[in-house]
Amino acid sequence: MSSSRSGQTPRRSVLAGAVLASAALVLSACGSSQASESTPESFEGQELSVLLITSHEGASKWLADEFQKKTGAIIKPTIVPYDEIGSTLALDQQSGANKFDVAAPWYVSIGDLAADDSIKDLTDWIEESDQDTADFIPAIYDPYTLVDGKRYGVPFDGDTHVLFYNKEILERNGFDAPPATWDEYVEQSKTITENESSDGVYGAAVFGQKSPLILGASYANRLAGFGGEFVDAEGKPTINTPEAVAAAENLVESVKYAFPTAAETDFGVGNGAWFDAKVGFIENWTDLGVGSEINDDSKVAGKWGVATLPVGGAQTEARASLVAGFTWVVAENTEKEELAKEFIKWAASSEVNEALLTAEPATGIDPNRQSSLESASYGSSYPALQEANRATLAGTLAWPTGRNANQAAQILTDELAKLLAGQGGSAQETMDRIQSEWERILG
Amino acid sequence: MASSLAERRAGRLFVSPTVLTLLVLGAFPLLFILAAAFTDSSLGKPFKEFTGADNLATVLGNADVVASLSRTVGYAVGTTAASVVLGVVVATAVHQAVRSGAVVRTLLLLPLIVPPVVVGTLFKLIFNPAGGLLATVLGFVGIPAPAPLSDPGLALGAVMVADIWEWTPLVFILVFAALLGQDPSITEAARMDGAHGWKLFAAVTLPAIAGTIAAAAFIRLVLALKVFDLVYIMTAGGPGQSTTTTSYLIHQVALKEFDIGRASAITLLLAVVVTLVTLPAAGLAARLRRKEEATA
Repeated sequence: MSSSRSGQTPRRSVLAGAVLASAALVLSACGSSQASESTPESFEGQELSVLLITSHEGASKWLADEFQKKTGAIIKPTIVPYDEIGSTLALDQQSGANKFDVAAPWYVSIGDLAADDSIKDLTDWIEESDQDTADFIPAIYDPYTLVDGKRYGVPFDGDTHVLFYNKEILERNGFDAPPATWDEYVEQSKTITENESSDGVYGAAVFGQKSPLILGASYANRLAGFGGEFVDAEGKPTINTPEAVAAAENLVESVKYAFPTAAETDFGVGNGAWFDAKVGFIENWTDLGVGSEINDDSKVAGKWGVATLPVGGAQTEARASLVAGFTWVVAENTEKEELAKEFIKWAASSEVNEALLTAEPATGIDPNRQSSLESASYGSSYPALQEANRATLAGTLAWPTGRNANQAAQILTDELAKLLAGQGGSAQETMDRIQSEWERILG
Repeated sequence: MASSLAERRAGRLFVSPTVLTLLVLGAFPLLFILAAAFTDSSLGKPFKEFTGADNLATVLGNADVVASLSRTVGYAVGTTAASVVLGVVVATAVHQAVRSGAVVRTLLLLPLIVPPVVVGTLFKLIFNPAGGLLATVLGFVGIPAPAPLSDPGLALGAVMVADIWEWTPLVFILVFAALLGQDPSITEAARMDGAHGWKLFAAVTLPAIAGTIAAAAFIRLVLALKVFDLVYIMTAGGPGQSTTTTSYLIHQVALKEFDIGRASAITLLLAVVVTLVTLPAAGLAARLRRKEEATA
């Protein structure tokens, strides 16, 4: 998911340009090869309606151009806000409008979309087609695609959070390294805010607006760090464990020293504060680093660092949190199933993912495959991001994805919002209420 | 006789499109909501299974739903009262200066034509604690920047301010039109009898426009009970549940949680509450209008 949501014009660096040119050459060679092998003539001139979120608009242009070159098919993207893509697709299919052939919703939605017969079961097709599924990042592949033993999609945008820090702000406040634990994060954030808030500089931007993808993400980062889980291996809720409660308590503490105010901080506000060098820390998708370097209005180019998310409690190993993440699905009622499958197979491929990672303007796409994560082009352009992203390779925290997962995410968000606003009692009471509700709807 | 029958048939034929349209636009959504409220209905698959009153029991047992209903009523009554008082005061003031008020009248109506999404964004910027208009102005006099939209005690009031700014011009224009429609000879006669200022307004003007004020209040009340857009833009229902109105909650349950059954049950509850709140207002408006017409 893109962290550069303000539409900044890129500033090309010589190095990035050279890398991009190399990647383009490699890609064009691959594309030509693939086209000559498998492109059916019948796709020429056909239109495919694709539903995407706002932050994938840049990627949609790249995908449309390249797919047309490859197949002659015309991609018609429709862009909607990130929290409306699931409902837009469901309503489109339920109403019989059937405008969309393909979509890339938040992976948490796929259980509800599958239960509503809004998306196709792709299990057999994935098994029969030559997609090298073993190359998908294992920690991403199942959460993004699997519901009750069936696969309903292929991963598109990896989307894990890491911790970005402003080196200058840390140095000014006497810190020579980013926090390793969430307690240190709060301490450093507190120090920065106390020292510099009078100048408009704060410890951190904490995404606290009441939305599962915003506030829910901030909590998920801490839950991962403290070693907690949303649900256990059997899918039973485990959201009131000591780790989950500690994560909620840390979130409350984090908000106290955050850029004002956390409750109003969405992606635009938080990222704006980061680019404006007004915050020491921001938890964000790895592509924020790309924007930090190439966006015209970025004041942090060359001044930032990135680390894996802090840890807490008994957890000592860095752990990634799949807070967002988007997956390609095929609409149930599409009349262009063959073309739709051809498109998502190509769009989820290693070559395309690798190219999107370093494309300019920034596309907001994160690694979905091991090969693209470890690619030379990504490593040479953004070595720090590549290193931080390796945390996604194992032991990641993923949201529940089955039926009622959307409701579960919303319940969590509402209760956390109440906790932060002082309306929800203690963290333990808050998490107990969520556990009770989750047991009712998730089983 | 035959001619009369033919005329009646022709009349029915001509009004049938209108009746059909009203049925489709009015009855169908109502029936859909009723059916969904009593079934297990998701966004993509409505009416999966009859569940009786389960959805209603669930939402009535949910403290957040009940709180949203009382919050919505409080919000609506508060914004309506403020809009009516301000609208009447401004309309009366402008009426007094009617010859020089053309530009003022146009400016006063501007908020009415601004899209709610723009109003929400505008006030979000005004209330922004990091450099917003309010923080800047208060900063000049040494008062720390408040964060109204993040303060559970202030957030609903802050949204109400935006709502009042947006919709008071509606009350203003209705009351102003009523003032222009007054018989000037009655006012003149009252003046000759010694009535001036507040006494003239309370004894002569107010009774003459009371029906219009009540009607404007009724319209304003209905608009406020449905508030969604300002909440969506300004606070997303937060902080906590502080600004979660029932319309916002319905949107969230239906489109974020995919639960059309529960959203429909909340809609039915809202319909009952809206009816209970607006019926007295509608009755009062009708009575005052009749009285006004009888006096005229």
